[in-house]
Amino acid sequence: MDYRERWELKEYQSEQRLGTRAALLHAVIVIVLAGFLGVFWYLQIVKGDEFALLAENNRLRRIALPPTRGVVLDRWDEVLASTRPALNLVLVREGLTDAEGQLKRLERLLGIPYDGLNARLQAMRRRPTFEPLVIKEDVQLADIAKVEARREWFPSVEVEQTALRDYPDGPAVAHAVGYVGEVNESQLAKIADGSLQQGDIVGKTGIEREYDEVLRGRRGWKLQTVNSLGRPLGSSQPGRDPVDGDPLRLTIDKRLQRKLVESLADEVGSGIFMNPNTGEVLALASTPGYDPNVFTAPVSRTTWTALISDPRHPLNDRAISSFYAPGSTFKVLMTIAGLETGAITPQTTVFCSGSAMIYNRKFMCWKKGGHGTVDVHRALVQSCNVFYYLLGRKIGIDAISKYAKMFGIGELSGIDIPGESRGNPPSVEWKQRIHKEPWYPGDTISVSIGQGLLAVTPVQMATMISAVANGGSLVRPHLARDARLESAKLPVSSGTLALIRDALADVVEEGTATRAQLGPIRVAGKTGTAQVFKKSVGVDADKQPKDERDHAWFIGYAPAEHPEIAFAIVIEHGGHGGTTAAPVARKVLEVFFQDRLPHKDAVPALEASLTARPEIRSATTPTAR
Amino acid sequence: MLRRRLLDRLDVPTIAAALALAAVGMTAIASATSQQPGRAGLWKTQLAWLGIASLAAVVVIAVDYHIWAEFSLSLHGVTVALLVAVLLFGKEVGGNRSWLAVGPVTFQPSEFAKWTTCLAIAAFLAKRVHDRIRFVQALQLGAIIGVPMLLIAKQPDFGTALTFVPIALAAVLLGGLRWRVVALAMCLVALLAPVGWRHLKPYQKERILTVVDPGRDPSGIGYQVRQSKIAVGSGRLTGKGLFKGTQTRLNFLPAQHTDFVLAVIAEELGFIGAAGVLALFYYLLYRGLLAARSSQDRLGTYLSLLAVSWLTGQAAINIGMVLGLMPTIGVPLPFLSYGGTALISVMCGIGLIANVRGRRFVN
Repeated sequence: MDYRERWELKEYQSEQRLGTRAALLHAVIVIVLAGFLGVFWYLQIVKGDEFALLAENNRLRRIALPPTRGVVLDRWDEVLASTRPALNLVLVREGLTDAEGQLKRLERLLGIPYDGLNARLQAMRRRPTFEPLVIKEDVQLADIAKVEARREWFPSVEVEQTALRDYPDGPAVAHAVGYVGEVNESQLAKIADGSLQQGDIVGKTGIEREYDEVLRGRRGWKLQTVNSLGRPLGSSQPGRDPVDGDPLRLTIDKRLQRKLVESLADEVGSGIFMNPNTGEVLALASTPGYDPNVFTAPVSRTTWTALISDPRHPLNDRAISSFYAPGSTFKVLMTIAGLETGAITPQTTVFCSGSAMIYNRKFMCWKKGGHGTVDVHRALVQSCNVFYYLLGRKIGIDAISKYAKMFGIGELSGIDIPGESRGNPPSVEWKQRIHKEPWYPGDTISVSIGQGLLAVTPVQMATMISAVANGGSLVRPHLARDARLESAKLPVSSGTLALIRDALADVVEEGTATRAQLGPIRVAGKTGTAQVFKKSVGVDADKQPKDERDHAWFIGYAPAEHPEIAFAIVIEHGGHGGTTAAPVARKVLEVFFQDRLPHKDAVPALEASLTARPEIRSATTPTAR
Repeated sequence: MLRRRLLDRLDVPTIAAALALAAVGMTAIASATSQQPGRAGLWKTQLAWLGIASLAAVVVIAVDYHIWAEFSLSLHGVTVALLVAVLLFGKEVGGNRSWLAVGPVTFQPSEFAKWTTCLAIAAFLAKRVHDRIRFVQALQLGAIIGVPMLLIAKQPDFGTALTFVPIALAAVLLGGLRWRVVALAMCLVALLAPVGWRHLKPYQKERILTVVDPGRDPSGIGYQVRQSKIAVGSGRLTGKGLFKGTQTRLNFLPAQHTDFVLAVIAEELGFIGAAGVLALFYYLLYRGLLAARSSQDRLGTYLSLLAVSWLTGQAAINIGMVLGLMPTIGVPLPFLSYGGTALISVMCGIGLIANVRGRRFVN
């Protein structure tokens, strides 16, 4: 074994030296391993519970269980908004083969563009594969049948169930009920109690928004075991069941609502009908409208852009947020102010020659030849401007302001729909604040006939005329049936109101609003024409270009003796209130009073002749004048 | 006669400790892969590799270590040639060209390079006349370690290249380098570090920065470290039970059966399991030190100590990574991580220790 000897010959290094170095290595090993033991101790024993929790959070994912949104009903429990199951066509991305072929066949079969689908599929590449691609939302059964019939073409296409908000009447209820959508960042930030989370559906406008907390319900959750990709595995543990939203009963009468929208037709305008005694809103509409159903599924960009960029602003709720000069309808308030301040009495007369010189300026009456001698009743019925010019000059802006404010002009009506405007109250203070100008005496004269520095919303006028109708109580308009009733008795004498009500009945009977007449039911009201700046002067209103025509107002109530329904209607650029706005009111009132009206048809339908209608007709006819 | 002596002197405790570690590793591999499609039987493959590795170890033990030392440079040369071949004809797996295919068998020459490097250094140190490393010797040592290390870094397999660092440090310590030279080398490293930093790939920089700041990018690079620590920590004292680790089974833990196999053990067997593995490692390394002390000559001492240093260093890098103390770098835990070539390599390392122990002076 010579090889061994050769190695032994070289043994002249001291054993000790190597021994020291070995001991050093040993020390290093001990220190390193002891250090690791210490770290294990720290992670597993000291911090163990903390990491155990983290592991649990890793493993278990809270799966939100959305509640079913409460149904919205009208006053007869007819459905205005509900939640319905909907079917989505989805492409399962797990084990997906021949995506191109499947998508192309879909394009041929259902006309869904391949390029768009493919782009969305590519955009999902970084998402976990168990999340499917939604091919089409709320797909029709016929389309599903087409796909199912060709199952072998679409191995990865499946049908998935979801819930969608459904508005069976679509545009007819848009501005009253509103619409829902996915919660946005600002709403999430506002409601910090954790009741909302990304992806939740909340009310965006109207009743849906105002009563969102009632309708929304409470989200539930379950605990689901997931893997590192988030894919659910095995069974889930129960957490909390969702609490469905409560139903919301509205004071809206779907029949009136439909009729109002139908009657406004293609006009731009709005109308509000309410019970003058309680403030219950029976119908509220703004045109042009929109279909709230388009917002339930994620809105396509084109739909949204179309709604936003429409110059007629269909998303605006004109009934509560648009303000206009009230025109002659303001004369109702002027009369109250005049009688209550004692500036005039029922016997006071004024001579109208067709114009009046006030403050060295000529103010015109609308009737060129003048009304001759008019008392307050005749002035209101004939809407004589001269009478009110003189009255305004006599009582002054402060008195006008006081009574306007008393009747809710320039104040929020408190209606339970978000987005109400205040309008411009007729006041010195307001003009100074906004226009930075002093109040000129001439301003008062314009305000006296409802023009100039004064703007009101339809809901304010409806509230005002309701107070006249109900004998002097300012009620809060509301749409929720169990909303708190609020009414404030105004310090106005019953004599004043009686005079006005008498005059308003005559306005329909023989004055400017004869088109609102409703047979045996006596309607009371006041027309108004809000001036719009125009280039063409001295042309008859009906012949002016549409966008230069004045806004048409009609406010009122019925029956004149014991009012059950009050209303305010504005038609933008509608010209004379009596021509365009009054017929809208009549059509809606016809529906409201249909049981008390004689049948319009010369030959009654068979079913009508079998009902008790003839008796009702004979019973109600004598009460009509 | 040789055969009888070999059996009599077989270093049973050392081999038993190594096999015990391998058994723990296989259990953890079985647990880690039981839920993974196509990998469920991986522990059996590892068992087969253990058989091959044991055979290789028997060969290493059977041949006197003086003979191994005699041919150490030739063996090392063959390995270096294989490393060059890898760079030229290697099979690329996961961005690293570190595999060589011979027929149906693929293997990593870099794993064998650790073994031949230890052998070559021990032979070199034992053969020299002087007690301290001189300049020329330092260059020679540097070549023995540096050439395979650079070739491996070129693959690029920085993890394996990094395991040469503890071997080099041990060579310097055992060889007796003058402290002045050590200090000079450290200064050089410190000066060159920024240059090296610039040559690192962005993901490698991220990994290093993550060690300093674990909160950094918790879903990206920090994710693996974080999930590993959660796995370890959530095991607490007794663990979640074998085959019950949620981090492991739900795939939160990356590379469960290879680099992070210790996290599986820590999660499922708890602090007790982790401490057990550390204890087994300590025992194994202690046996190596014992072999060194009782060796009949310096060559045996050097061989044992270098093998111990290699295993210590590689284990420390891996455990440090699992515990989030080291950058995430692909270094398997000796005996436990899945991988055939690595297992053969470390078993051959144990073979060297057993070889020296079996041929010690007997009074």
